[in-house]
Amino acid sequence: MLSRAAERVYWLARYLERVENTTRLINVHTGLMMDLPREAEIGWFTLVSLFDGDAFYHARHPKINENNVMHFLLADTDNPMALINALSALRENARTSLDLLPEETWEQVNELYLQVKTELPALYNRRRRQHLLVAIMERCQTIWGIIANHMSRNHAYYFLQTAKHLERTDMTSRILEMASLLLKDNRGDDVRAFDGLLWTHLLRSLSALQMFTQQYGSNLVAAQVLDFLTHDAHFPRSLAFSLSSVGHSLSALPEPDTLLARQQALLAIVDELDCRDIPAETIHQQMDTLQVQLADLNRLINQQWFYPDAF
Amino acid sequence: MVNLWQHYDPGHFHDELMVDGHQPRTFSYRLLDHLRSMKNEAFRQRVAESEIEILERGITFTIYSDAGNIDRAWPFDIIPRVLSKQEWDCTEKGLVQRIRALNRFIDDIYNEQHIIRDGVIPAETVFKSKGYRPECQGMKPAYGVWAHICGSDLVRDDTGTLYVLEDNLRVPSGVAYMLENRKTTKRVLPELFKRLNISPVNDYPAQLASMLRSLRPDLANPTMALLTPGIFNSAYFEHAALAQQAGLILLEGADLIVGQDGFVYMKTIHGLERVDVIYRRIDDDFIDPQVFRADSTLGIPGIMQAWRDGKVAIANAPGCGVADDKVIYAYVPDMIRYYLNEPPILPNVPTWLCSNASDLEHVLANLPELVVKPANESGGYGMLVGPHSSADKIAEFRQLIVDNPTNYIAQPTLKLSVSPTFCGDKVAPRHVDLRPFILSGKNHYVTPGGLTRVALVEGSLVVNSSQGGGSKDTWIIDDSPISGGHD
Repeated sequence: MLSRAAERVYWLARYLERVENTTRLINVHTGLMMDLPREAEIGWFTLVSLFDGDAFYHARHPKINENNVMHFLLADTDNPMALINALSALRENARTSLDLLPEETWEQVNELYLQVKTELPALYNRRRRQHLLVAIMERCQTIWGIIANHMSRNHAYYFLQTAKHLERTDMTSRILEMASLLLKDNRGDDVRAFDGLLWTHLLRSLSALQMFTQQYGSNLVAAQVLDFLTHDAHFPRSLAFSLSSVGHSLSALPEPDTLLARQQALLAIVDELDCRDIPAETIHQQMDTLQVQLADLNRLINQQWFYPDAF
Repeated sequence: MVNLWQHYDPGHFHDELMVDGHQPRTFSYRLLDHLRSMKNEAFRQRVAESEIEILERGITFTIYSDAGNIDRAWPFDIIPRVLSKQEWDCTEKGLVQRIRALNRFIDDIYNEQHIIRDGVIPAETVFKSKGYRPECQGMKPAYGVWAHICGSDLVRDDTGTLYVLEDNLRVPSGVAYMLENRKTTKRVLPELFKRLNISPVNDYPAQLASMLRSLRPDLANPTMALLTPGIFNSAYFEHAALAQQAGLILLEGADLIVGQDGFVYMKTIHGLERVDVIYRRIDDDFIDPQVFRADSTLGIPGIMQAWRDGKVAIANAPGCGVADDKVIYAYVPDMIRYYLNEPPILPNVPTWLCSNASDLEHVLANLPELVVKPANESGGYGMLVGPHSSADKIAEFRQLIVDNPTNYIAQPTLKLSVSPTFCGDKVAPRHVDLRPFILSGKNHYVTPGGLTRVALVEGSLVVNSSQGGGSKDTWIIDDSPISGGHD
């Protein structure tokens, strides 16, 4: 497989997963904001922090409010983390990988892009925005469905999978980071009263609520939720599960040993995280560290397959 | 409500679908009956469906402009253009005859040059042609075939005669759009495919792959790739679609290098892997900076030597552009007689060579009635269409021709045939041409029909998509009484 083509499908999958997760996160957060009392300290800005966009946001917007945050996260073409940019990158990578992907992939990606471009101006209207966000999630699922059902298990497929699970690990770690932001020890009692609600939304943002409930009942205790999202071996969006999946896909690619060693080391770190004893806010640092290490793994993948020294 | 077809009037032009302005031809009556019996709203609905289809499937072409590159939705008209199978069978034979002669010619030019020595074509005409590459002298590609993919442009005049207007031998484009037009038409007018016996076109990618494979008879399973200049090229959509459908690896110059052993390698996740056949969609000029343009970043240094050494097959072969020249074109009927000893099946458009003193005199005396073309431009650039040009423009061309007569040819302004086309508020006659694609390797293959291009502006003869032309599906219909099967 061509190195350049491998790089393109790899990024295609990262952007596809990123689009879906960003969408889900915004949607769930909007739901949370509707449930919380107006005076609660938790605000729209949590979303911006999650994408490390604090400084850039402040440089562009004097005020923090729903409309500004939504514009920043969804439509601001100058913000590299904005959904519209991830979507453009997704489309460009799909357009240049037509020869490798099932034919319908491109149609779906293109339709998704056209739909978002047409409907994005409605982002300031909550109801219409939510419709659009749901539509985006569904379309992303459709694309993964086509890939899962129509694509040979070839190298291109395993690059897609590696990238998807790496991106997913990163997104899950960001969502866990949100938990720590929401659960600061110094939060007021009015917010503490809503802890259960916060955990529900957290699980929902990973589509994990139902699977969590099946396992633990509706007992939403911080330690259990965090443990589930970090270590559960059966839930596909837990850190341990997605990081293991990165390993499975890597091992189907040529000469993966160095990378597998790195992935194993990362998995060991995740395994050792103890969510029961540590204060929730410490997770913030741990997730930051994990994200740095994931970026490092990404760099190694680049070196090994996309720009090998041999050329 | 006025029916969309009510005021249809092809005037004195030959109409592809009708006689006497409204009577369907034998092979088009089912199509016309169906379309003309549709309510206006139903018809518009189908048009809207086709537009959504093209947008959603991302069928685009790129236009270069001062403001950068713009992706445009592929302009498509839902009313197909139809030819009878009987006529097509003969046309197909003519096209194969023509490409056989053209390939013999190119092979001869780069080897023995009999045709020049025998005085059929002047040496100067050949060696001064922009497409002539002395670097190819002495090469013998498999089967003596140089132009593996040819897109010939056919036009019909008011007498109904089908002429070859030009042979595009360098990197002809449009075939993926032919395939997309058919897909779109099938989705928009599915009921007609049940009733009519329309020749299928979707065999092309497989035929292309099989032709490319035949270029390396020494290998059982050659690695085959399509070389594109990249995503900013106007035909990138086509490159990607063809690679996808024919199972070729889509790559760019930067993905390839020529190894120490002289073979061509691509950069893969395993390291370097050999490439055996390259369907290149970049011009000779850019293919090898060591041999042609040194500033080219699109090509692969050393690939010409690899090709000359037989270590890689390239389609179309470098240098085949020598026959893709409007002056050489004038000699094709002579080539057919010279190499094949056969009478030409398809006529050329009458052509005056400005290099010839008596032709030049005629051209200069009749400029306002003629079409003048420079020998080496493509895409409709640098042309004069006399009857549609201002006095200033005509004077400008007069000077160009006088300064450099060997670079120009002239042809009568053909009264191009028209075909019913939906134009916003009515169905109106619009001029069309036809570009079939001919594959040559071990065997020959001709697309049934090809890409019909249509000049969307009333009265215009310019069909190039880069200059505002549109396109239609093209149906070869077998209207003989016994028919079976459908596409």
